[in-house]
Amino acid sequence: MQFTGGRMRKTGAILISGVSIVLLLTVWGSVGRSARTPLNSSADLASSAACSTAPVRGGNLVYERQAAAETLDPLNPLNGNGDIFAYNLAYSGLVRSDPTGRTNKIVPSLADRWTISRDGKTYTFHLRPGIKFSNGQPVTAEDVAWTLNRFGNPKINAIMAAVAGGFGTATVVDTSTVRVQLKKPVAAFLYNISIWPAFVMPKNLVEKQGKAFFKHPVGSGPFMVKSFVKGSYITFARNPHYWEAGKPYLNSVRFNFVGDSNTRILALRAGNAQDIDVVPFSQVKSLRADKNVVVQTAKVPLFLGLWLNHLRAPLADLNVRKALQHAIDRTLINQQIFAGLGQIPNSVLMGFSMDAPASVVKPYSYDVATAKALMARSKFPKGFSTTLLYPAGSDFYRQLGLALQQEFGAIGINVKLIEQDTATVTNAWFTRKFDMVFPFASFTSDLTVPDEYADFLANWDNGFHGFESSWRDPAVQKKVLQFETTRSDSARAKQWVQIQQTLMNLTPVINVLKLPFIDAHAANVCGTHLDGLGSDHLEDTWFAG
Amino acid sequence: MLNYLLRRVALAAVVGIAAGLLVATFFIIHLVPGDPVRIVLAGRATPATIARVHHQLALDRPLWTQFSLYVSHTMRGNFGTSFTLDSPVAQIIGQRLGPSAALIGYGMLLSLLIGVPLAIVAALRPNSWLDNVVRLGTTLTFALPGFWLGLMLALVFGLKLRWLPVSGYSPGVVGILRTLTLPALALGLALAGVVVRTLRSSLLEVLQSEHIEATRSRGFSELRVVGKHAMRNSAMNTLTILSVNIGFLIGGTVVLEQVFQIPGLGSLLVGAVEKRDYQLVQALTLLAGAAVVLASLATDVVQALLDPRVKLDGR
Repeated sequence: MQFTGGRMRKTGAILISGVSIVLLLTVWGSVGRSARTPLNSSADLASSAACSTAPVRGGNLVYERQAAAETLDPLNPLNGNGDIFAYNLAYSGLVRSDPTGRTNKIVPSLADRWTISRDGKTYTFHLRPGIKFSNGQPVTAEDVAWTLNRFGNPKINAIMAAVAGGFGTATVVDTSTVRVQLKKPVAAFLYNISIWPAFVMPKNLVEKQGKAFFKHPVGSGPFMVKSFVKGSYITFARNPHYWEAGKPYLNSVRFNFVGDSNTRILALRAGNAQDIDVVPFSQVKSLRADKNVVVQTAKVPLFLGLWLNHLRAPLADLNVRKALQHAIDRTLINQQIFAGLGQIPNSVLMGFSMDAPASVVKPYSYDVATAKALMARSKFPKGFSTTLLYPAGSDFYRQLGLALQQEFGAIGINVKLIEQDTATVTNAWFTRKFDMVFPFASFTSDLTVPDEYADFLANWDNGFHGFESSWRDPAVQKKVLQFETTRSDSARAKQWVQIQQTLMNLTPVINVLKLPFIDAHAANVCGTHLDGLGSDHLEDTWFAG
Repeated sequence: MLNYLLRRVALAAVVGIAAGLLVATFFIIHLVPGDPVRIVLAGRATPATIARVHHQLALDRPLWTQFSLYVSHTMRGNFGTSFTLDSPVAQIIGQRLGPSAALIGYGMLLSLLIGVPLAIVAALRPNSWLDNVVRLGTTLTFALPGFWLGLMLALVFGLKLRWLPVSGYSPGVVGILRTLTLPALALGLALAGVVVRTLRSSLLEVLQSEHIEATRSRGFSELRVVGKHAMRNSAMNTLTILSVNIGFLIGGTVVLEQVFQIPGLGSLLVGAVEKRDYQLVQALTLLAGAAVVLASLATDVVQALLDPRVKLDGR
């Protein structure tokens, strides 16, 4: 089966040129072809043979990244992962996701231990002895409490207020102990404070300098900011006071912000950069053939979320939504567009650490006969016409749109494809002026647990209108709210399986495919780990030979 | 001369800038769908937060009110603050102006260094195989998409030969020669086609004129005839064409700065448009428009200095 046809708005010239570049890069990359390396988890592929010795100190890493850092204020991120990955180098929180990416557990960071009260509403954190900011001043319990109270204040933490839900107050118990009182049990609280809005800041400096602090910030991450030119680059030097003894190994890190994926790949191959992120699926094969390059993937909560507008009568019909699910040939899409690197989902949301396996919650099968039967049972047995909106500039949405147009057409749904720039697409999603939409160029969760996105989608009271799908189900909302406050992990696991299955049954939105993060680095770069959110803090990274 | 200058300045200022640029720069970006606040705050901010930021940025006011604010601020030299970069627009543009100006200047220089000799060669042997090769070659480089040409140059000179970096920017003469040669070459090759076509046809016309025949009859070498006499008369059209193409050069930097990761105004504009950063887009397009108007004005002035007929017409 081939994906053909479709009404596209972009000029053919750009497409032809783009294809030519891909072909040329592929041909170029085929020189010196080596055996194909299977792609596993990030930890398995992070090192090559050169990395079998003990880590060596020194070296300056140039990392070309797709998204630019635009602000170093963690409570005011302006450019998603562009900002967040810079925060992860400069700052630390009380706890963090397992930096190796081997597990999705929360592990100690500035706090080396903590206790949780029986009712799940009081957390007591004990700070690691002797921890310091990059300027040498101690990280105090007062700094921590002040930071957490800002995190919990929706007027200050306006953008990420959702992860601070239920926060009460943080108080200093003694010089190395901080107590957090929640208004209600928040099961994901440790996950919530493991990410950037809760990164610990030096109270005295932020209060004294105000916004100017974030031009030359002081943090307790593995590196400290040396220079920052917005939209261009940011450089970091090793933090001599970093709390992990002997780390980081690198002398410095430079993030160059390079939006064009071909330019990033060229820089890696030419040796101008040693690490790049967001490798296009179409170029993974040629990069894997380059013996000087290691391709690294990470399982993260990233997915192709196809949002359905329930204000449109056909899409509010459950039979139609199930028919859409069965009409998608995910295996073919995965092989043809995503180099086989995607995963067939058994959830309507991105993949989370708590998801039940496919043997428990089954994925939708590709079954055109069943899809047609569901359409016949729907209120639209003769089919209908609709639109699919997606962002321009991606290396896969156009192909994906064509595939879905053809597959939905096979069950009587006539889809008109509309390609717009990302801002226009996102605006249409926010204002609910769409039929079907892929709302973001990259659709990821901030946490590895489902609490945040389950709430976005199912909790109608949060003001997000079913995360702009206009879908509402009070029974599911009740289950999600209970899940968010359940203290026991085992009880939560059982609850989530039920929610996951219910959401699959009701399919308010569609997960077309789960996708990995794909990075690539020079073969002599060792100790690169992507954590459960796809971020590398680079504290373990070193150069071999 | 003074009268002529004043008239041109007044025309450019009143018609070009005040009326056209202000209206165009404001309404083009405001009429495009998209909301900078929602884009920056992404899907996580509550409607109340979005409303609060809209109010702070005056985006909740009627469009005409926003326009009048824009005009009054711009007239006072206040371009505002970029919401998406959280910095004053003038400061951001100041940081990014140098690389773009260097790229445009370097690209224009290379277009002349490549285009002028080729145009002379082609004009001296019209319709010969050499002329055809020059015209075909320059037409090809003009027709090729800038990003494709740039990537091919980076592949050959950066990845294969390793002579120059494939991307990045360094200031200073050495840094500029090292980092801007490939993008300037991509820009210059495209513009060289325009230079060759314009200069070649002008030279052909001038070389057939009576005063050139008279010069030749005095026994001057062909090099002196072309270099001193024909070029002076032909350069005028090329100068005009180059000034008209300043917009082409600015447009070229938008693409090439993306490809070669140059922290200039072009890549800044792309990011600003993507995020609907109204203040930044308005200032950048206003600046680009003003650059085109000023280049046109400068060309008129140079023409008036070089060509006595323009001076006479101005009186």
